[in-house]
Amino acid sequence: MISVAYFIVQTVVILLAAPLVNGIIKKIKALSQKRKGAPVTQLYFDLFKLFKKGMVVSDTASWIFRAAPYVVFATSLAAALLVPVTTMIPSQWHAGDLILMVYLLALGRFFMMLAGLDTASAFGGMGSSREAMISSLIEPSILVSLITVGLIAKSTDLYRIMEHMKGVDAPLIHPVYLTAFLALLIIIIAETARIPVDDPSTHLELTMVHEAMLLEYSGRSLALMELGASIKQLVFITLAVNIFIPNDQFILITGAAAVFLSLVIYLIKVILIAAVIAVAEICTVKLRLFSVPNLAALSFILSFVGFMQYFVLGR
Amino acid sequence: MEHYFDVLSVLILLSSFVLVSNKRIHAYIKTFRLQSALIALTAGVMGFEDVVNDGNYDVLVVCAIIIALKVILIPRLLHRTYGNIEYRVEKDFFFNIPILVIICCGLVVFSYFSVSNIGALSGLHINLQVVNSFSVVLIGFFFMISRKKALGQIIGYLVIENGIFVTAMFSTQGMPFIVDVGIFIDLITAVLIMGIMVIRINDQFESIDVNKLKNLKG
Repeated sequence: MISVAYFIVQTVVILLAAPLVNGIIKKIKALSQKRKGAPVTQLYFDLFKLFKKGMVVSDTASWIFRAAPYVVFATSLAAALLVPVTTMIPSQWHAGDLILMVYLLALGRFFMMLAGLDTASAFGGMGSSREAMISSLIEPSILVSLITVGLIAKSTDLYRIMEHMKGVDAPLIHPVYLTAFLALLIIIIAETARIPVDDPSTHLELTMVHEAMLLEYSGRSLALMELGASIKQLVFITLAVNIFIPNDQFILITGAAAVFLSLVIYLIKVILIAAVIAVAEICTVKLRLFSVPNLAALSFILSFVGFMQYFVLGR
Repeated sequence: MEHYFDVLSVLILLSSFVLVSNKRIHAYIKTFRLQSALIALTAGVMGFEDVVNDGNYDVLVVCAIIIALKVILIPRLLHRTYGNIEYRVEKDFFFNIPILVIICCGLVVFSYFSVSNIGALSGLHINLQVVNSFSVVLIGFFFMISRKKALGQIIGYLVIENGIFVTAMFSTQGMPFIVDVGIFIDLITAVLIMGIMVIRINDQFESIDVNKLKNLKG
């Protein structure tokens, strides 16, 4: 029964909150440029409209092109189920851990790259090759930083890690957690096609990465791809806020009210991280593609230095 | 409170990593200033604890000297030197930047294995802080040999000095005041002389590439 509640809360919160994060980031960027900007809920309207439309599929496209949106959406949502949005509902579902989460997202990305290559358009292939480069650069730092935290919690299960983090006082004033958190912030930016790595608002430009792979999609498939990408973004943000900024130990009540309160605090934390991402986008320019390895190297050393701190501290 | 110093030592280490992954002289100077500010913060907190515990304000004075010297004066001198030469971005490395960074990771591992066996350093946290700050010294050395231009090498020298200062501070809770002041006076003299040297080298050889110093000039 509790397990069912976990699934329902998890799916509903992630599905409903994911497009909101994009809206907030866009709104903050617009306000910084003294524009009014689209409403925060714009992506919901876009998705709703796209779901109603038909889609155009190229004659030369194979089944991969049609299957990819479903795979991308399904893998992101499955990964989202592994990252608890609140620790108030105990997760009885020990079906996967952080390694499975990382590679579920990698599977979705693999299909996205195949779909980009499938229609043989020039942009798609270019986007796929760039995405392959960036993802292979950023993957070691995701695993090293998360597994370091897992080593301290003595489990790779994300729910257990979050439970352990509730007992740590002031996690951000701790050498291991601080470096892992900073590494995860760079990972969020690189994984979700944000500005120093890729510009999400460019369309039909030679520098695009994520958009280049989606160029051939329309209608329902495009909506699924967009929703999958925003869910992936929320999954990483959830990792960052729920592991490194735990709040559930302060909630003393129990029952449905506690879950609700916990979710409200969770949303506030997500909005804070979204604001941080937006400020990072405002303050930086897009990196040259061949400078992305430097950013990835920085993220890797952050997680590696954290790992070394764990070794020296020995706990 | 111990974790606070741990975090500061990690941040100082990370700032030296940021230095290695940069390639603009302007960014070198900014990162050096950031690192010095972090060191001043560390010294400030340590000095404050000293004042509260036994009324000894030596470390606090050292902190004030660091702010005046390393955060304000030396970066300004370097900026002036930088303004006098036309050279802006470091272009030719021996290796590319990710490889340099990974070698620096190796240096951290090396310093962990060498420092953690020293029995005289007691306590978990002291050990961690000394590992981090000793890595800063090694990274400073490595930065010096990985850059071909004279200004980068000055920054490398300053980072080594920062590392030595932090190592001493973390392992002994502050060196004798007179030693610190002596080192700072040496440092300011060194930077002044090196700044003048860089300008002279630039005038003579029309470049500050140290490899060109071997060329004959008549």
